[in-house]
Amino acid sequence: MKRRTLLIAAAGGLVAAIGAGAGVLSQVPVIPKRPGPSAQGALGWIAHRDGRFALTLPRAEMGQNIATALKQIACTELGAAWDAVDLRMHETTMPRVKATVGSESVQLFAAPLALACAALRDALAAGRVTGAVTVTERPLAELRALRPGGLIGGSPEIVHGREIVTGAPLYAGDVRRPGMLFGRVLRAPASTELPSRPLRWNEAAARAVPGFAALVEDCGPPVGKARGLGIVAHRPGALDAIAAALQVEWEIEGSHPRSDIARAIDVDASLAEGALPHAVLDGAPEAGAWDVDLRIDIPLAAHGSIEPRTAVAEWSEGALAVWTGTQDAFYIRDVLADAFGLEAGAVTVQSCRIGGSFGGRTLCMVEAEAAALARAARAPVKVVWTRAQELALGFHRPPSSHRIRARLEDGRISDWDHTQISSHILFTAAAMPRWMQAATDLVAGDPGVARGMAAPYVLGRARAAYDAIRLPVHTGPWRGLGAGPNGLAVESAIDEAAIAAGVDPLSFRLAHIGDPRLAAVVARAGEISSWGDPPKPAQGMRTGRGLACGIYKAASYAAAVADVAVDARGHVRLTRLWCVHDCGLVINPDQVRAQCEGNLVWSLGMVLLDSLPIEQGRVSAGTFADAPIPRLSEVPPLSVELIESRHPPSGAGETAIVAGPGAIANALRAATGRRPMRFPVRAEEFRA
Amino acid sequence: MNLVLNGESREIPSDWTDEPLLHLLREHFGLTGPKFGCGVGLCGACTVIIDGVATRACITRAADVEGLTVRTIEGLAEGGALHRVQQAWLDLAVPQCGYCQAGQIMAAVALLDSVPDPAADDIAAAMDGNLCRCGTSARIRAAILRAAEGVR
Ligand code: FES
Ligand code: FES
Repeated sequence: MKRRTLLIAAAGGLVAAIGAGAGVLSQVPVIPKRPGPSAQGALGWIAHRDGRFALTLPRAEMGQNIATALKQIACTELGAAWDAVDLRMHETTMPRVKATVGSESVQLFAAPLALACAALRDALAAGRVTGAVTVTERPLAELRALRPGGLIGGSPEIVHGREIVTGAPLYAGDVRRPGMLFGRVLRAPASTELPSRPLRWNEAAARAVPGFAALVEDCGPPVGKARGLGIVAHRPGALDAIAAALQVEWEIEGSHPRSDIARAIDVDASLAEGALPHAVLDGAPEAGAWDVDLRIDIPLAAHGSIEPRTAVAEWSEGALAVWTGTQDAFYIRDVLADAFGLEAGAVTVQSCRIGGSFGGRTLCMVEAEAAALARAARAPVKVVWTRAQELALGFHRPPSSHRIRARLEDGRISDWDHTQISSHILFTAAAMPRWMQAATDLVAGDPGVARGMAAPYVLGRARAAYDAIRLPVHTGPWRGLGAGPNGLAVESAIDEAAIAAGVDPLSFRLAHIGDPRLAAVVARAGEISSWGDPPKPAQGMRTGRGLACGIYKAASYAAAVADVAVDARGHVRLTRLWCVHDCGLVINPDQVRAQCEGNLVWSLGMVLLDSLPIEQGRVSAGTFADAPIPRLSEVPPLSVELIESRHPPSGAGETAIVAGPGAIANALRAATGRRPMRFPVRAEEFRA
Repeated sequence: MNLVLNGESREIPSDWTDEPLLHLLREHFGLTGPKFGCGVGLCGACTVIIDGVATRACITRAADVEGLTVRTIEGLAEGGALHRVQQAWLDLAVPQCGYCQAGQIMAAVALLDSVPDPAADDIAAAMDGNLCRCGTSARIRAAILRAAEGVR
């Protein structure tokens, strides 16, 4: 019953689906609660004792270096020296904070933290050193931390920087507990949408491997529908040998009806059957021939974090402690409590620095494996996913297929039609059973897929619609959600429209932009790249320059310019990337720049590399060789400029990915005269 | 069976000899600097310096370093002073998530030890096997040049 209320609160539209069958109630997954932060709640993050302050980071730290930015805010508002504030990662013994998703940490947490720090500062100034403090209302304009000056707009040495460059423990895998063992849960080599389980195995052979500790049949909830077989060893290296010795035979039920993924998401095939169900823009383009008509295909892609999913679990007297790098420690706690039949208070999750998340650390997977193995082995257990497990069992950026059309009238776009078939992102199959997803499909579509589909231009009669299809490979949040692929599709079509109109792409964009902040980043990107004056082609190379822009979550703005060089065999090299970025008031310019740089490298990846190979409905990649990410020599010089802005702070972690891929694709078009439409691009399509 | 680990002679216990060096360092010696990223030599997160050469600890058998000198990131700073590569990394705020960076720093230290004034091609050749998903490559290049300047 508790769950029923919870579900209703989280997503009202689902009530009918649940009421439809009481039998399914026990299969209702735990729904993440995501309360917004409040200033009074923020007092729980900051404490004062003996002249020092302790700031408990209310966010996950995954490389956005939010610990540094929030410490800048706290120090500024408290009037405290940098070294007088100790920063700690949170654990779930503190009141719940919202998951770290959607580039919201500065946008949503700066003001509450500053208000709480101001209240604490005032209480201390009034001579109080003990007891609880109450936040009094005050205008945000009074807060020192929300205007430039001092640490705000400064770039102090990053929090954890020293630990990182000296190798001090920070990440979940760095946790070592007395008597700790090492575990892994083996699963069938099959789609996680197909029910599978271990059927037979050679236990004697496994036991004979030096370092063997335990074999665990009750090894926690399935991943999708894949049930596992757990192994535990005294040394991590023994796990491979034990897995090999076991020679597990798997029972895999049936085959997936949509194992040909490209066919399942073919937008033209869907359009032939009728309109797509979820509208993002509801204009009515007129019938007739189109001046631009592109089919853009973007495949599945892995997050590729260098740290694989990792957790350490330890039981003592019926209570469970877990160390993990997660974007939502409280959700992990709730799922573990549910899975192991515990009160929430009996589970403590310590949030560790994450070795790269990009949306991938939002569900409970490795944590439940570690908890189950630790319970069976009666010892603390560390589970580090292999790279192959990351690729096979994680969820990924969904593939998407786009049909995108534009018509011109007097040099302007008069009609626009963007349709897309993809798979789920927010309502991911990795967390939602089919029946539940059917309900969200009906009432909500998937706003993650829709993100960035509303092109940021004045486009006349504009329509955009999509559908999300459940696939044999699980898909979910990936840097920028739908905004990266949608931006690439939209910016490709805008560029083609400019070419068809015979207008310079920068002027063409400015003529269609209504939002002055977007116009400002576009104009500035033109200036810093000397847009009209691209470099001279090098011997034997075709060179080109491209531009793109976009708005992320209606709050942050970016424009990018790319230079590419293409050799006779069609190999593409980025030679230069520029980005102009406006995310309102900037707390830490150097780290906002770092996020832009990261997004530019991801943009390069999206156009040239990102693809996760699939065979018969399951991931066939096992290593970075099969699912490569950008290398140092592929990354060109990057130039980032931030707009100085008095607008409230907004997000920086996923903004430039709306513009970078389009700029690169458009540069390739300029260099070769051919429009890239299948990503990642293939050299054979761009031979001289 | 012994190795020289960050300047000190240490014993490799007999039941750890068949383990990858990475696990021996992390789980037996408690050196958390070298990281597990892929386990098959493709990402560089586990890079350590063995007898002066940047080496992937995940595909090096513990027994194979018998008698050799192994340097991890924990052994770079001398006294309280960071190695100039570590300092350059901090000065330019190279790390985002930081997970790849111990391997990056060790690869850079090995490069600068053998090529004190590296050209762009030297940096690419030495660093291309060290992946960074956060996208810090441009800063890594800049930090290597900065550290090289320090010795020039
Ligand atoms: S963990 Fe050794 S190269 Fe990836
Ligand atoms: S800093 Fe995150 S992987 Fe390199």
